[in-house]
Amino acid sequence: MALRSELHTLTGVYALDALDPGAELDRFERHLARCSSCTSELRGFRETAARLGMAAAERPPPTLRGSVMAVVPRTRQLPAIDEHARHARTGPRRRPMPLRRPLPRLAIAGAALSLAAAVVLGVLYVNTNNQLGQVRRQLTAAQAQLQAITAVRTALDARVITKPTAIGGTVTVVTSPSRRQMVLTASGLPRLAVGKVYQLWLIGVPHVHPIRAEGVLATHHGRAGPVLISGVLTGDTFGITVEPKGGTAQPTVQPIVGVPLPS
Amino acid sequence: MEGMRPREMRVSEPDFHRPEGSEQYLEGLLARVARGDQAAFEAVYDRLAGPVYGLIHKVVRDAAQSEEVSQEVLLEVWRTATRFDPAKGSAATWVMTIAHRRAVDRVRAAAATAAREQRSAQVPMPHDEVADTVEASIDRERVRRCLDGLTEPQRESITLAYYGGYSYRQVSSLLNVALSTIKTRIRDGLLRMRDCLGVN
Repeated sequence: MALRSELHTLTGVYALDALDPGAELDRFERHLARCSSCTSELRGFRETAARLGMAAAERPPPTLRGSVMAVVPRTRQLPAIDEHARHARTGPRRRPMPLRRPLPRLAIAGAALSLAAAVVLGVLYVNTNNQLGQVRRQLTAAQAQLQAITAVRTALDARVITKPTAIGGTVTVVTSPSRRQMVLTASGLPRLAVGKVYQLWLIGVPHVHPIRAEGVLATHHGRAGPVLISGVLTGDTFGITVEPKGGTAQPTVQPIVGVPLPS
Repeated sequence: MEGMRPREMRVSEPDFHRPEGSEQYLEGLLARVARGDQAAFEAVYDRLAGPVYGLIHKVVRDAAQSEEVSQEVLLEVWRTATRFDPAKGSAATWVMTIAHRRAVDRVRAAAATAAREQRSAQVPMPHDEVADTVEASIDRERVRRCLDGLTEPQRESITLAYYGGYSYRQVSSLLNVALSTIKTRIRDGLLRMRDCLGVN
């Protein structure tokens, strides 16, 4: 499995950030640390990929500049690291985030409260680290999501559908065909066995639209959401299945609830 | 803010039109950003916000989310400019690498949206929506030409992975081709792209 030559050919995939997190990525990164020809090949590939990226340049939204520049003066920079530490690591790779980051969602759940709490938290951290910038960014993301959720719920064509699930509890879906979005909330969902999760799906019309995985649903005492799901297509059915931890690419069992979405 | 910006900070036009000069210029700017120079950061923004947003938009598809991820990336550039090491690659590459990673993190975290799925079979190409600098359009033309120089399977695998944000496992299942084949196609294609673009 871990043949050197085989690992070596992963430089291309790695340069495009196309290696899934897991054993293969770990093995490759360990190999990379010891393989100078891989490092130089990777460097050329990164440069090549960056050129592909530059070619996609587009005029950014006019609001971007202001929102970045407003935060910069309040964002502490990382201290420089010394040369030894710098060269010991070759291209540290950030772990992809888990399905649906928990923090923004939590912040939405109790928006006002968490907002205040997070700001306080941020202030506590500001002297030691750059946490404030991070918290603020997560808050910005949370606020944006909250706005989107409100927009769906208040849309002129919003429809509300409540349905029990086959294993207990109910789900409520607010959907706006014009926005092609829906918001899910749930209550009374039973606690799942260890190693199982609730996974969300948009199930397209067979042979027309595929089944799309929409992440794993975090529950707290049986309650969940609001979760915003975008990209709803005509004829889609929203569904929830119980899948192994981490979720699956396609549903492996029958949904515990299916909600045909009006269009 | 505007008044605080020293005059010599202004991005002079010729820099935008000379590729080599501008790369060094960008590295110089990043060195100043690393010392907390906000005016230098604004100059970096002017130069790279378009590429950063464009790439993220291509991968993430949703405009609002793309703006959010772009903001994260640009702030990360500000925050971590102290860690940028010109010995390991160019400044633009460093920024674009961060942008791509963040975009990919976002789409893998949020699961694919319908728009992405619908377009997954298409091979996205760099688009012409921006009226931008001469340098950028020459670059874009060159990238397009080099992409055209790949074999169809190579181009497809590279664009799905890079612009589509799919992992090579996903590319393999989308195209129904063995993993090892995708791995080879991507590497061979990148080698060819690299030589075609004159990356050393």
